[in-house]
Amino acid sequence: MQRRSRLEPYGAKPIAQLIYTNHASETVIAAMALWVVACLVGLQKSGGAWRAATLLSLVASALCLIATLQPAGDAALRPPIGIAGVALAFHVDSLSKWFLGLIGLVGMAVSVYAPGYLQHLRGRARPGFVLSGLALLFASMAGVVTARNAIVFAAFWELMALSSFLLVATDHERHAVRRAGFIYLGATRIGSAFLIAGFLWAHALTGSWEFQAWALQGPAATGPAALILVGLITKAGAWPFHLWLPIAHPAAPAPVSAVMSGVMIKTAVYAILRLFVFGGIDSPWIAWVLVALGAVSAFWGVLFALLQGDLKKVLAYSSVENIGLILLAIGIALLARNAKLPQVQDLALASALFHSLNHGIFKTLLFLGAGTVDAQAHTREMERLGGLIRRMPWTGITFFVGSAAICALPLLNGFASEWLLYRGLIVMSSSGGTGELRLVGLLLLGWVGLVGALALSCFARAFGISFLGEPRTGAARKATEGTAGMIGACAFLAILCVCLGLAAPLAWDVMRSLGFIRMQHGWTLPIVPLAFALSGTAAAVWAGMAILARRRPIRSSATWDCGFGGPIAKGQYTATGFAQPIVRLFGVLYRYEMSVTVGGDGRRHFPTEVRAEASHEAYLESRVYQPVLDGVQRLSERFLYRLQAGSIHQYLFLMLSTLALLLWLGGTR
Amino acid sequence: MSLDLIYQVIHVLEVCSVPLLLAAIIRRAKARMQGRPGPPFAQPIFDLVKRFRKSETISSTSSWVFRVSPVAGLAIALVIALTVPWTGARALGTGSGVADFILVAYLLAFGRFLSILAALDTGSAFGGIGASRESALGVLIEPSVLVSLAAISVSTGSSDLSVALTSHAPTSVAILAGAAFLLAALAELSRMPVDDPTTHLELTMIHEATILENSGRNLALVEVGVALRTAIYFGVGARLLLSCAVPVGGLATMQIILTLVSILALGIAIGVIEGISVKLNWRRIPSFVAFSTALAAMSAFVAVLRG
Repeated sequence: MQRRSRLEPYGAKPIAQLIYTNHASETVIAAMALWVVACLVGLQKSGGAWRAATLLSLVASALCLIATLQPAGDAALRPPIGIAGVALAFHVDSLSKWFLGLIGLVGMAVSVYAPGYLQHLRGRARPGFVLSGLALLFASMAGVVTARNAIVFAAFWELMALSSFLLVATDHERHAVRRAGFIYLGATRIGSAFLIAGFLWAHALTGSWEFQAWALQGPAATGPAALILVGLITKAGAWPFHLWLPIAHPAAPAPVSAVMSGVMIKTAVYAILRLFVFGGIDSPWIAWVLVALGAVSAFWGVLFALLQGDLKKVLAYSSVENIGLILLAIGIALLARNAKLPQVQDLALASALFHSLNHGIFKTLLFLGAGTVDAQAHTREMERLGGLIRRMPWTGITFFVGSAAICALPLLNGFASEWLLYRGLIVMSSSGGTGELRLVGLLLLGWVGLVGALALSCFARAFGISFLGEPRTGAARKATEGTAGMIGACAFLAILCVCLGLAAPLAWDVMRSLGFIRMQHGWTLPIVPLAFALSGTAAAVWAGMAILARRRPIRSSATWDCGFGGPIAKGQYTATGFAQPIVRLFGVLYRYEMSVTVGGDGRRHFPTEVRAEASHEAYLESRVYQPVLDGVQRLSERFLYRLQAGSIHQYLFLMLSTLALLLWLGGTR
Repeated sequence: MSLDLIYQVIHVLEVCSVPLLLAAIIRRAKARMQGRPGPPFAQPIFDLVKRFRKSETISSTSSWVFRVSPVAGLAIALVIALTVPWTGARALGTGSGVADFILVAYLLAFGRFLSILAALDTGSAFGGIGASRESALGVLIEPSVLVSLAAISVSTGSSDLSVALTSHAPTSVAILAGAAFLLAALAELSRMPVDDPTTHLELTMIHEATILENSGRNLALVEVGVALRTAIYFGVGARLLLSCAVPVGGLATMQIILTLVSILALGIAIGVIEGISVKLNWRRIPSFVAFSTALAAMSAFVAVLRG
């Protein structure tokens, strides 16, 4: 008896107690520590090291999920050397938990997926290296969403930028990847410069580094808010600072692009919510800027996604679209707050939060699916794929679910969050304070509808061209299904897409209990009965067809070939051709050219070679960014090279004089 | 309560009968415009029975997508037909929010998504061209469909179509939104002048090209789905136009009769249009749909100004 009572503290019940009574912040610190260990273990050369790193990463992701169930709290470590006089402090509240949940879910899926995928990188990169980088990236993202003050936030933000840069440059022996790495590094530097300048300004105005103490209203908020917004939007990849996104994401290995697109760009959304929605920085223009940038990004991203032929570029541009929708929803929430429309505010805010989570899940799923395609068929060009659904059935069906979810098709999670945005816009247009606000609501509704229809077209194309029909090349013909881990990760995410879609009313309640929203019944669709009605009807129709088929069975034959004998795989519709009607519609935004060459003797009737190529060039890039970049280059060629003459004496002099200047500036204050 | 039940029964009966009746009327009107006597009135039913009794031949390239698409498309069309009060009677699940117009629009988009994929699944270039054009049409009409329905929902104070389509709306909003919706419906339903449903040249087809590989029972499923969608779109368009004539409170029977008459009249109008107009060049379709979008935007302006 005595013995048993002594053992009891280690039984099942106390573990549950441990989970519920411990503070979330300590769990998160433990998760980050595990990830750091995973990072170090992954760097070891021994054979099993990367397996251990995978396992550690999986446990750390699970800890993040556990942290979302624990009571909120603070934790602070005071390092021996002061960093600007602030502690290494973490604070986990509802908002942090929401994003920790996303990190945990994606972290688990990616940890399961990565080992199988990294096999195919053999010879180009050590799997352990990528796993280490991923662990560091996860640790820094967990740090970003739990940082209590601006210094800690900026430190983790930088760590996140650097670790993701290393990951983008994994395959650095290819020129395109090196270029992508440098462009990405440049974008993160510019973004961080703006962000840190904004933080410094905010600190100068409020005298504090704590996010909670930053209360800036009206004109005083304009300067810091503008700088911080530019920094965050660069990271988020919203228009017009989206250029790095479609370059960096395709260059990185699939698990990395999945994490970057699914979670990393969401940390910028987190920061926007933290500072401008739940924080004290407030100025009326912020709402309108977010609405405008969000609306443009959403349209721009999906339109350019339609122009791409590389599966991962399509996904990267579609991230621009979804970030646009999230920013639009945040903007609407702020507009509604300023106009005292609590219902609209709740609906739009719920949409932004839920869409951040949902997009993280289905975008990860799609990137992992594209990675499986890349690993098995050795190409991501849609024009070289086709017929994969018969060769990779599981990847096919999970990619289908992801595509349907990202098109916001009903009963999946993408629909749930976009419906909340639509609902917010409808409520705004029927009860909004001023006429302008109501009209904006109605027109934005049409705009979001346009974006939705474009997304449908884009993903019907992505899935249809690469997975359906006949394989267009030998590589696609020889593709086989990925490993069990790869399929398992995709299936896990696909099931999440379905469950989150059906559990949308529950998600609303969770968001309410976390304190993001106050409205009682925001979700008004009977989603589960509808799911039963639809599947019941479909089952009845299917059964009827099966009964009819009993008498006259189905015959199988070749696709109709107009009597010319055997359709050839290359005769199928192409991705370029599929997008053309829509691409021509919006031709004012880019230069779209189609060049067709017909070769061979008597080429009029018997051509031996027919080659058609489409190219496009966005005016934003060629007419706005290019001149600016040229200007910078000219400036550095004329003046800056004198400063970088390669002379150590000159550098020492410059450093010394900078130090002297800073000391003098600090002294006069 | 019992009156509601009677109206529900009427709605279900109309869901079963009006789509095929409408198809027959369109055929007859078109034949008359072309100076032919036309096939027997019940020809659509004969065709369906014939096709359901035939076996089907499917492409050896196709996968489960091709098999699932028509079934799911029909299921979606049936559920929408039962829950949206396009007949003016009482739909099933009235007031439960199941007829929310965003949900309905996205369910229809789901059907389109599946039919695009089914067309690509057979590996036929004709399927591809049809799929590409169908998705482009979807992009063109989606804003106008959503904005015209949103204008009505703002005017009637409910985004649930089962309420919005049976309540009163200001005349100007009703006419603008109804016109916008019906113009968009012509494009969505692949009707003249956007698409010629009886064309025989694959390169000019839109909807017909996507279902080129469907045969027998499978084709019958697609055709039932199209007939249902046609009836729903015309019914909703008619309801939008008639919502200016809804008196506060009652006269539901009158509304049901008026709606039925308008749907059938629209069928005759379609037959007449198909008799006298030619199919638009594909590149002209955006400017045709632009009328619809402009009308929808105007209905939004008016709805906001009046409200």
